[in-house]
Amino acid sequence: MTNYEAPKAEIGKIQTVALGIGGIVSLVVLAAALFFPDYREQALRGWLVGFVFWGGIGFGGLGIIMLQYLTGGAWGVVIRRIVEAASRTIPWLFILFIPIIIAVYTGNLYAWTRVDLITDELVKHAIEHRGAYQTPFWWIVRTLIYFAIFGVMTFLLNNWSARQDAAKDFDEAAGYLGTATAFSGPTMVFYVLTVTFATVDWVMSLDAGWFSTIWGLLFVASWALTAFCFSIIVLSFLYDKPPMDKVLGKRHFHDIGKLVLALVMVWAYFNFSQYLIIWSGNLPEETQWYLTRMTGGWGIVGVILIVFHFALPFLILLSREVKRKPKMLALVAGFILIMRISDVFYLIEPSPMVGEAHNTAGFHITLFDILAPIGIGGLFIWRFFVELQKRPLVPVMDPFLENAIEHGKGH
Amino acid sequence: MDKKLFGFLAEFDTPTEMVDAATKVRDAGYTKTDAFSPFPLHEIDEALGIKRSILPYMVFAGGIVGLLSGLGLQYYVHVIDYPLNVGGRPFFSLPSFIPPMFELTILLAAFTAVFGMLFLNGLPQPYHPVFNVPRFALATREKFFLLIESDDPKFDYNETRNFMESLNPQEVFDVEP
Repeated sequence: MTNYEAPKAEIGKIQTVALGIGGIVSLVVLAAALFFPDYREQALRGWLVGFVFWGGIGFGGLGIIMLQYLTGGAWGVVIRRIVEAASRTIPWLFILFIPIIIAVYTGNLYAWTRVDLITDELVKHAIEHRGAYQTPFWWIVRTLIYFAIFGVMTFLLNNWSARQDAAKDFDEAAGYLGTATAFSGPTMVFYVLTVTFATVDWVMSLDAGWFSTIWGLLFVASWALTAFCFSIIVLSFLYDKPPMDKVLGKRHFHDIGKLVLALVMVWAYFNFSQYLIIWSGNLPEETQWYLTRMTGGWGIVGVILIVFHFALPFLILLSREVKRKPKMLALVAGFILIMRISDVFYLIEPSPMVGEAHNTAGFHITLFDILAPIGIGGLFIWRFFVELQKRPLVPVMDPFLENAIEHGKGH
Repeated sequence: MDKKLFGFLAEFDTPTEMVDAATKVRDAGYTKTDAFSPFPLHEIDEALGIKRSILPYMVFAGGIVGLLSGLGLQYYVHVIDYPLNVGGRPFFSLPSFIPPMFELTILLAAFTAVFGMLFLNGLPQPYHPVFNVPRFALATREKFFLLIESDDPKFDYNETRNFMESLNPQEVFDVEP
């Protein structure tokens, strides 16, 4: 059997740099949050931006595992080990989430945790009307449940995949494939529901007086897009190195590129749906969220997102040639990732600070909005590559592996 | 030289033989050629030097036309011809214009794709001379055919026929117009 071990020497270098930078920067941000009360809230917000962006690769990767089992196809076979490794970072993402949990307990990040400081009667009423649901205790309980659900999904899917690798013959291997596929169907529903509840708690509740029912789907699509773009960069890094140079073909990149194009459109579609409904309804409690984000300098960020998160990647990805050139596609994916983090920043940063009902500060970006994503990113990349090296880079016993490799070479 | 001839049709047993022969036909400089196979052969595009279709660009243009006509239609109706005050919103309300603009983009792009495909393929075509060769019916079953048309600037009855014989086909047929 061919050896599909990850190229350890090249990955080792990346890991050392990532762990070094990630560790030091993360410690700086956390130290600022811990020892400097003046910077505490800003540091935690930056931390949340970093977590929601990088966590998206782990949570989105988990969704893609189930998606590729359900749809089948060569792209799923070659991307499976990448997204599996991403999903196995979820326990580590929980560790990175602990500062946010502490901040909810101590009332330092979300305005609703200090409802006693809010003077705006409407917002105060909205938060108090939710009763126990919108209290730190139950928020923390729910967060633990979300991580438990994501954790169980990750464990089961990765476990079947590992047992498939160890299967003695193809009949046994096909059995694990069938189990994982049957599991993915109904579980996908719970995945979308869990993402919905989790992102409503983690991100939407920053602006507790506001609500949007498409929020969960927006994050399902955004996180899948983040995970796909990250996977493309990893795949293009592995493309010209043994053992994956014998596996990956231009057609695989073409297929995954099409999915990225689709998700870029879905992202725009969901965002526009949310905007159109709120614009048409024209109700004060809904429009304030957009008003904050369209005035005081934030409007420029919104336009940048429309042009560079949607229009430009959409037009570039229409081209067949771009999707078929791994390095070129990786460049586009990297660009989309920068836009992804800008989008997360745009969702989180204009939200009210503790004690406020609405944020009126206008456009602002702090050092922590840049440092925290770098710190969390370093730690995430380090852990991702640790997980990636634990298993062969392709599902070696998968009945469709040979087909998938053959598919990549085609036109 | 028989002026009435449409071209020559060569029959092959396997796709590999036909693709090899097609490569030689292209290298010999013939351009008015075609190939027929019971199933899609991706290699044949390259072997015969067939260029990629311009259909995607036509579809893109169709989409842009749809987008602009969607905008134009609504602008004419809501701003110029019959302005209505809906809840105090401006007459030119782009957010509410976008769904019809999107739909018209899809509609015209899809129409361009379907009708452009038919047009570029020369369809519908009730008559084609290759069917004058009785064995051509096998192109939908198990045989592979290569065609050189007499319109080709390099076409010469004897020379082209000898050239096609040299490609080792099962048989070379004269195609009546």
